[in-house]
Amino acid sequence: MTVVVEDMTVRAGRSTLVEDVSFSVPAGSWCTIIGPNGAGKTSLITALAGLRGLAKGRVLVKDLDVHAQSERQRAHVLAFVPQNPTVPVGMSLRDYVVLGRTAAHGVLRGPSTADLAVVDGVLERLDLGAFASRDMATLSGGEGQRAVLARTLAQGTTVVFLDEPITGLDVRHQLDMMALLRKEVDECQLTVVATLHDLTLASSVTDQLVLLSHGRVVEKGPAAEVLRRDSLSAVYGTTLRVFTVDGRDVVLPSSK
Amino acid sequence: MVSAATVVATLVAVVVGLVVGPTSIGAGAILADLLAHVGVGHARLNALDGTIVWQLRAPRMVLGLLAGAMLAVAGGSYQGIFRNPLADPYLLGVAAGAGLGATVAIVHDGGAVNVPTWTPWLAFAGALVAVALTWLIGGRGPRSTTSTLILAGVAMAALLTSAQTFLLQQASAQSLARVYIWLLGSLASANWSSVEVVLPYVLLCSLICVMAGRALDVMSVGEEEARALGLSVRQVRGVVVGAASLGTAAVVSVVGLIGFVGIIVPHIVRLLVGTSYRRILPLSVVFGAAFLVLCDTVARTVLAPSELPLGVVTAIIGAPVFVIILSLRRGVRS
Repeated sequence: MTVVVEDMTVRAGRSTLVEDVSFSVPAGSWCTIIGPNGAGKTSLITALAGLRGLAKGRVLVKDLDVHAQSERQRAHVLAFVPQNPTVPVGMSLRDYVVLGRTAAHGVLRGPSTADLAVVDGVLERLDLGAFASRDMATLSGGEGQRAVLARTLAQGTTVVFLDEPITGLDVRHQLDMMALLRKEVDECQLTVVATLHDLTLASSVTDQLVLLSHGRVVEKGPAAEVLRRDSLSAVYGTTLRVFTVDGRDVVLPSSK
Repeated sequence: MVSAATVVATLVAVVVGLVVGPTSIGAGAILADLLAHVGVGHARLNALDGTIVWQLRAPRMVLGLLAGAMLAVAGGSYQGIFRNPLADPYLLGVAAGAGLGATVAIVHDGGAVNVPTWTPWLAFAGALVAVALTWLIGGRGPRSTTSTLILAGVAMAALLTSAQTFLLQQASAQSLARVYIWLLGSLASANWSSVEVVLPYVLLCSLICVMAGRALDVMSVGEEEARALGLSVRQVRGVVVGAASLGTAAVVSVVGLIGFVGIIVPHIVRLLVGTSYRRILPLSVVFGAAFLVLCDTVARTVLAPSELPLGVVTAIIGAPVFVIILSLRRGVRS
């Protein structure tokens, strides 16, 4: 298992945000955390990435205890994308993607030619070559999101955590983004843990779902097992129905 | 091109700082005298002119270069660390601490004509204690952020300024006037020993700030993402705040509170060369140095033999320059 979460509890002051969460993700697969607003998805994924301390438990990524590493050591094994990445005004897209190599070259030294080669490779792979000199602030939502993904892949880790990577994108760009990530999982053995709101999309692209409610795991496993009408409806507090269309699970609100 | 222009500006400032003054001494004569000093030729200035150039103007010019460079690079570094365009080198209590230290020294000394010789040391100590307290309150511990640090700085400045106000309210009118003059900042008391005191701080601290440029560029994506990219944000913040504050404290203790350089110079440079701190910081060093020497030349010549307060000149010259560049850049963008 590449990512192992054991009895993880996250607190902020006296309130418990995530409690006794355990699950694991095999290498080269995609696990999606689902759950209603306030279920603790963001707290969970930022804690997985080591950016938030744990009250209890531990997170192992490739057998390393994430919370026992320095920022730089962590950035060598895992990459993280927050829900609303900051767009640095005045920075070119290429310079932004170069930031992904920070852990590799260190901040006292500049990127080596090898680092820049990695960056150019990723730009090519994500079809961003033509935008390389554009100011980050002038990119559209879809381009910006791909730029963030490029920076993340440039980091060169085999494990990536993403918090709501398709927020604010239209349907086509959502699907493009998911397809890009899926390709990295299938072809480059990338291990992905992401949070998503769109249950239908989540079920179609991911290998494993973890359903979170009030900071606790309610269900986990393949989409077909997790997306059941009764448990979903209870967690989301509204009646949901699960249909199968072309062999894929589709979750819709009940018309009644 | 901008780099070349700032270097030229600095050379111009050096020449102007040596040549311009109430006593007319030509640049050629000064150069010949300098060459004679190192054994080339024999053309020397007469004793009086020599003293004016090498004991009055030269140390004043060098101190101006050092102070301008340090204040500008410290301001630029603070703006990067706090991701706040309004940050200046006095943000974390350096000015309030130095002001209180100097006030204590001057008021304690009573009615003497000159500011007591230990004023700089007390101002230096006051500045460092203020920043250290600010850091202890708002910069340590797992829950500290740049916001808690700024707020702690605001509180510390308010506290120290009120102590200073109390002292001033108790002081004689003469002490009051001298504290006021000190607070406005001036290079008038410059000599080679004050240069010697400030030089090591400015060299070390501005070098550290410039070297942090790349880390500050990473921080432009915010603290959380910078950490995710592998940057030890806490460490960078400690080192940069420490270096910028130490250098500023050393400068302020000798020249007083020269305003505006630390905020305006990095912004002018940013408008000219873009948002990367790898370019902003080294150019701020050079441009800040030139800017302050030129301002000081204006300060000491316009109303000669009396002097304008340096902080007034930096604002009178700096604000219009900034507005012009800002409107030109806007024109370019739209």
